[in-house]
Amino acid sequence: MKRQIPLAFCFLFGIAMIFTQFSPHSYSQAVYKEVINWGLIISPFAMVLAVVTLIQTHVTRINLRTEHWQYSLIVFVGMIVMVLIGVPFGPQNSIVEWLYNNVQVPMDATMFSLLAFFIASAAFRAFRARSFEAFLLLATAMIVMIGNVPVGDLVWNKVMSWMPWTDGASWLRQWILDVLNNAARRGIILGVSLGVISQSIRIILGIERSYLGGGD
Amino acid sequence: MEIIGIWVAAFLTLCIYSFLYRDNPFYRFAEHLFVGISVGYIIIISIHQGVIPLAWEPLSEAISALWAEIVGTTTPETRNALWGLFRILPIAIGLLFFARLSSRHTWLIRYPIAILIGFGAGVAIPNVLQANIFAQTRGTIEPFAAMNAGTLSVLDTFNAVLIVIGVICTLTYFFFSVEHRGPINWLSKVGIAFLMIGFGAAFGNTVMGRLALLIHRVGFLLNDWMGSIF
Repeated sequence: MKRQIPLAFCFLFGIAMIFTQFSPHSYSQAVYKEVINWGLIISPFAMVLAVVTLIQTHVTRINLRTEHWQYSLIVFVGMIVMVLIGVPFGPQNSIVEWLYNNVQVPMDATMFSLLAFFIASAAFRAFRARSFEAFLLLATAMIVMIGNVPVGDLVWNKVMSWMPWTDGASWLRQWILDVLNNAARRGIILGVSLGVISQSIRIILGIERSYLGGGD
Repeated sequence: MEIIGIWVAAFLTLCIYSFLYRDNPFYRFAEHLFVGISVGYIIIISIHQGVIPLAWEPLSEAISALWAEIVGTTTPETRNALWGLFRILPIAIGLLFFARLSSRHTWLIRYPIAILIGFGAGVAIPNVLQANIFAQTRGTIEPFAAMNAGTLSVLDTFNAVLIVIGVICTLTYFFFSVEHRGPINWLSKVGIAFLMIGFGAAFGNTVMGRLALLIHRVGFLLNDWMGSIF
């Protein structure tokens, strides 16, 4: 009972979503919209559970006075300020917008820009053309990077002045992205999509049930 | 208020960049504040764009309609709103997530998980078929129709043939039902070459994307923040 009924629900919801998408009947479309709404209602509860787990983790850190426990208080301050203002007044509230534009967005962009340094340092250490395949990867990455900046075309025109076309770096970059990269990406997408479909069928039919966890 | 915002954003930006020297209290402060603010924002969005319009409002309208039904002031609109009572079901299913917090009833969490996974799998099959398999296959073979009509240039024809070869070779590399020997081995080796070019392009684009963000942040510090001082 503890496993069979959830499997039956999984089957029902999966089949309902497939059939309603292929049927243009108004009842079918109404069921489709309703089930989509059900999914959108259930999902935030999973998010709440994640927040509860985050709170438990930081409360434990504070109670046990682990290393750097003081910073857990900062997590709570940020979260509580946002929730206290945002939940009653909504995301359009001026204070929430101010916090979003001047705290969250700059930190988000800075965190991601920080990766530029680490990628550059990792590439400097790991990028070695030890084989033909590694050379291809290295050469493509170099062309894509050089072709992305105006100075790339300037360098190309100076060094490769014997070639028949100008703006060669950006042209070559675009050609690599449109043709060679596109071919590889399509192959990967087709392979991944076939995998997603087969795995979805296994889930709906109850063959794949590892998401139910262990126990009875 | 705007100038305070610029100073706060500049301070937090510098706090995060201080990590380039080494892990330090300023970075840890900004990192934890980022987590807290982000989680708070996700909660706000989930409530205001998910729970309130999809669960709370239909349910409260349905309860009002039910009251109108009881006191006899019902109209066709209020009768239609009664369907909102069904929204109790997904709310109840969602609440089962909290069974995770009780060791005796933790198995109940299987219900919402199974429903969400079944829902996701059901949505995925037609959408992936349509958006990825059919659209990508069509995109690969469509230029040959133009080639047949004689409207494709020599370069475009060469590109179209190269894309077909690339797609077939890449798929062959992932085809493990036969041993990679003889012609299959050669095709898969060409597939590896295409994959390496794809990974190289992805790497180059990622680096340039991160650099664009870095330039944007440095531009903010130099123009907006320094501009507010001098």
